[in-house]
Amino acid sequence: MSTAVVQTTRTAPQPGLRAEGVVFAYHGVKVLEDIDLTIEEGEFVCLLGPSGCGKTTLLRLLAGLETADSGDLFWKGQRIVGPSLERGVVFQDYSLFPWMTLVQNISLALSKSHPEMSARWRLNLADEYLEMVGLAGAGRKYPSTLSGGMQQRGAIARTLALGSPVLLMDEPFGALDPVNRAKLQEVVLSVWAQPRKTVVFVTHDVEEAIYLADRVVILGSSPGRVLEELPVPFARPRLRRTIVSSPEFIALREQIAEIFQQDVIRRIESESVLSGSGEGI
Amino acid sequence: MPEVSNPSESTFPTLPVEPVFAINKRAGAKLPDLRGKEGVLFLLGIAVFWQIVSTFAHFSGKYLFPSPLETLKALWQSLPELFTGTLYSFAVLIPSHLLAVIVGVAWGLMVGTSSRLNRMFSPFARFASPVPPTIYIPYAIALLPTFRTAAGFVIFVGAFWPVFLNTATGAASLPQRYQDNARILGLKKGEYLWRIALPASLPHIFSGISVGLVFAFIMLTVAELFGASKGLGRFVQFYADYADYPRMVAGILYTGVIVLLSMELLEQIKKRLLFWWK
Repeated sequence: MSTAVVQTTRTAPQPGLRAEGVVFAYHGVKVLEDIDLTIEEGEFVCLLGPSGCGKTTLLRLLAGLETADSGDLFWKGQRIVGPSLERGVVFQDYSLFPWMTLVQNISLALSKSHPEMSARWRLNLADEYLEMVGLAGAGRKYPSTLSGGMQQRGAIARTLALGSPVLLMDEPFGALDPVNRAKLQEVVLSVWAQPRKTVVFVTHDVEEAIYLADRVVILGSSPGRVLEELPVPFARPRLRRTIVSSPEFIALREQIAEIFQQDVIRRIESESVLSGSGEGI
Repeated sequence: MPEVSNPSESTFPTLPVEPVFAINKRAGAKLPDLRGKEGVLFLLGIAVFWQIVSTFAHFSGKYLFPSPLETLKALWQSLPELFTGTLYSFAVLIPSHLLAVIVGVAWGLMVGTSSRLNRMFSPFARFASPVPPTIYIPYAIALLPTFRTAAGFVIFVGAFWPVFLNTATGAASLPQRYQDNARILGLKKGEYLWRIALPASLPHIFSGISVGLVFAFIMLTVAELFGASKGLGRFVQFYADYADYPRMVAGILYTGVIVLLSMELLEQIKKRLLFWWK
């Protein structure tokens, strides 16, 4: 690992992922305003917010796919200046290359994370990753022959094959039906645990966020900013059936709904106050 | 961590003169179906009409209007000659078209994914690609030592532009997610071109290849009218000179079938390679 730019300002225990005063505009429209966020190493954080709150943009910034207009992003104290194998990404629209089989997709990732490995070993290892996400035996299949859920499993396997300590997931299950979504959530929790990774998971589904996360970061829209960060108290491993009906879960869900409600009211009021001068402030 | 080069910074905003070659506008558009009884009936109708015209066509003499049967007979008799002519034509056409595909695809991928190369090459492409390639034939014959090299050159020029333009368009308009994924995986520029941009652009590339093949056949037969000693175009020209119109028409029909079969072969190859594409 080469050290591009080492930040020496914080020498104490280096936090995992950090955003400091991040501002991002797209075609003159402010998408993110002054985002400060710290995600500890090994933490599972959900970025929760309505569409247009810039949660995907924030994830892309963390991945290094976009560059902030001002402010900085860090991974373990190192500035993020571009994509890196340390931060794997699973996108919402399926990430696999459709002209490659599952095994070929995963081998491509392995050729980057294990350049010294022979092609045959890569194939063996690819099979192991497929097994991890419940796709044993499907390695010779092409993505177009698989269901959406299976394709996302394959995308997760490929990201795992990168060996990244950070997993960035952009609404990965947005297009799945509830049953598949629940199954895939379990897959994510299991791969997060061993070996322990840092996961940033973008979603607009409140229950998904509470069920998965150690901490839910709630984003408000136009422009996107952090409204609130709520720790999720449930011990792990979590049992879906008991958690979803527990009073704490319901209270948390209502608290989040209330936060969104307040944000909407605040925006409507500020817009009516400023109606003379337009809204693009 | 070495940071990854950014293939997406190379956007290819507008492509020059695409409409000239945009016969297959939608990449991978299907050729009309060859089966079905409507098509067969229509062909039969043409044959009947042809028979009637050739029977009653005293206005221009039977010379110019051989009947279907006469033509078929001439076709049958000329088959050996047509067959060697085909081989001779293909010996010129295939290497030139293949070279045009290789150069056009390679260069198209590079220009399509690099804004610098695009800025460099676009003005020239804008100027050179709409030039009808037939216009080069006299000069090519004067300049190049043999017929084969001259014909090869003009076929190459005719096929190159559609292949190049379609490939560059395809490579420049790849879905953002392919670029994002390539960057996340840390693919280098060369790997990106070979493993991502090339397969992802295949639908466009095949449109370019098939339009290029049509151009290649046009250039081939036109060039052969000028100065070949053998070949399909030469066959037609030769029997026209000797006013043997049954053989000439047979040569035209035969050439049509050969082009049709070539396009069909290309379509099959495309289907094989693009099984993943919807």
